Amino acid sequence: MIVRRTATWLDERFGTNTFLHAALAKIYPDHWSFYLGEFALYFFMVLVGTGIWLTFAFDASAQGAYPSVLALADRSHPIGYVIRQVHHWAAVCFVAAILVHMGRIFFSGAFRKPRELNWMIGVCMLMLASFTGFTGYSLPNDGLSGTGLRIAYSVALSIPLIGRWAAGVFVGGDDFPAPLLTTHLYTLHVYYLPVTIGVLLALHLFFVVYQKHTQFVRDPKRVVGRRFWPDYALRTVAALGATLAVLALMATFFEINPVGDYGPYRPWIVMNGAVPDWYAAFLEGALRLGPRTEFVIAGHPIPPVFWPGLVLPTLTFLFLLAWPFIEVRVTGDRAAHDVLQRPSAVPLRVAVGAALIFEGLLLTIAAGDDQTAATLHVPLDTLVWIYRVALLAGPFAVGLLAARIAVEVHVRTPDDGPPRPDAVVLVRNAAGGYVEEEVQAG
Amino acid sequence: MTIAFFLVLTIAGALGAAAAAAFGAPPSAFAGGIALAFIGFAGAAGAAASALHARDDLSEPRTAHGPTHPPPLPDDARVARPRFLRLWFAAAGAFAVLGLVPLISLARKPGRAGRTGWGAGVRLVDENNTPIPHDRLVAGGIETVFPQGAVGLPEAPAVLIRGDDGGYRAYSKVCTHAGCPVALYRHASHQLICPCHQSIFDVDDGAKNVSGPAPRPLPALALGVDAAGFLIARGDFDGPVGPDDWDRVV
Repeated sequence: MIVRRTATWLDERFGTNTFLHAALAKIYPDHWSFYLGEFALYFFMVLVGTGIWLTFAFDASAQGAYPSVLALADRSHPIGYVIRQVHHWAAVCFVAAILVHMGRIFFSGAFRKPRELNWMIGVCMLMLASFTGFTGYSLPNDGLSGTGLRIAYSVALSIPLIGRWAAGVFVGGDDFPAPLLTTHLYTLHVYYLPVTIGVLLALHLFFVVYQKHTQFVRDPKRVVGRRFWPDYALRTVAALGATLAVLALMATFFEINPVGDYGPYRPWIVMNGAVPDWYAAFLEGALRLGPRTEFVIAGHPIPPVFWPGLVLPTLTFLFLLAWPFIEVRVTGDRAAHDVLQRPSAVPLRVAVGAALIFEGLLLTIAAGDDQTAATLHVPLDTLVWIYRVALLAGPFAVGLLAARIAVEVHVRTPDDGPPRPDAVVLVRNAAGGYVEEEVQAG
Repeated sequence: MTIAFFLVLTIAGALGAAAAAAFGAPPSAFAGGIALAFIGFAGAAGAAASALHARDDLSEPRTAHGPTHPPPLPDDARVARPRFLRLWFAAAGAFAVLGLVPLISLARKPGRAGRTGWGAGVRLVDENNTPIPHDRLVAGGIETVFPQGAVGLPEAPAVLIRGDDGGYRAYSKVCTHAGCPVALYRHASHQLICPCHQSIFDVDDGAKNVSGPAPRPLPALALGVDAAGFLIARGDFDGPVGPDDWDRVV
């Protein structure tokens, strides 16, 4: 009743009902993997909601930050405790959901023309989400995150030509830690980064609706699936409820980032076995495996942290951004595609994806090399060299293996593209020559 | 019926969580109520979705986009464009150059103070600013020290180690790799270890970087004893503290 009256009220002023009817009746293709991106969206919504609450409880000054978070991290403040727990859990899950969603887009070829731009927006959001996570993780000014910031400062300092400028802008002073550091992190964390993500997210979703969703149903002319209302809307609301329920359960049973145990940041104190949140661990691993050589150009040093700390993530980011165009270069396929592929349909893509996943996992594991070495009783130096060799040789081996598996699997489950022949027969033609003929079984 | 059950669960969970918060129950009761509410909510929506008549074969047409070719501009609208195109771009570029000014002004070079607080005659103190008598450490002992009056200065901390021979050695505690505190001392091998990225320094050999990604040894502090029997520095570190950068000319 009230819904109908509101709709009518709006319709008489803006003519919204035409649009509303079309939007509610719009068809969306259905597949379990299409919900992965939605989980990322829901984590983002939770982050904004809990984050707004937290801004009123957090003291964004260098001295006040740690005590104010400590008050929240204390179980005697049940609401603050739960909201902070949910916020941090949602942050680590947000990045994970983006990555998994991206894996689906990548392996099913959903990034192909006409959706290259939306892929690039997604890659940008992945990077922004990691940055937002890192700045938030660093806000409490505790012993664990302070050390991470010190490393980030050294990485910024290592940039040729503009290192001191960049590091100085970042921390807001001539030394680490500078008094303005917390203020800078806070502005980045609650304003610039989330607002940018929000704008990109709106574009991302608009493109999905405007260009229409891809599908596995092999009908390039039509979108085949379910209506938005009520079919799809109810499913996605169920997914939202499930996301929130899981976050609440994790907040109940698993304590995350207990800053009270770490103590406030003091530059001369560090914990043993310190590692960052999972999405930043690959950089920590890269720093551990990186070279020790310091190049000197005309008297100007390029510190060794520059290569693993900055060049590696930048190149990875650019490679991901450019992937749709790289693939077109390799395959020569410039056509538009609305029908998705099984991953095995493109062995090259499987190889590249598997190699990237391997590198990411290896670097993440390398972030705990000291603990691995101690647990396995292997000398750390030996372990570092094993990781280094695996890092350089592994992607080729893993890529080839993955491509081989893709080819094998694909024979048994033929999909788009011309089917592979079951046999090739040599036939003698009238002129006396031989021609190959491909034969399909059945 | 199922939907009603789940919705009642939602109401019970939400009100339960609110009550838990109102009566100061522990966080697990509050969060547990929220979890229950959302489980009910998801269950209700899921049950409603599965109760629908399964229609997953609906379809609508796809529309291909472009390429479209707009009609050429009228002649009077074309006048400005080709003639001054380069100048338009040059003007835009000039604004970009102008935009660099505020960006650069955000930080001035050198942007790195590098003050250690150490100098000839400066007493070594612990983190409570207490001077260190020459017999404070036993052989194999280790202590984090600062220059008197500059506890907490970022580039000041040093590790003071008393060797098995009874002699003292002091090195910068800021790793030359990424600036972490070199906090671990392995007495058996006389090595300082950075817990961040496992750079290892040989205490008996001028804190030489024997393993790991650190590119340089830790700078050393020459030590002495003043008339009152307290440890003092005989000068600043013998090299620059912490990781290098482009402007630290070597």
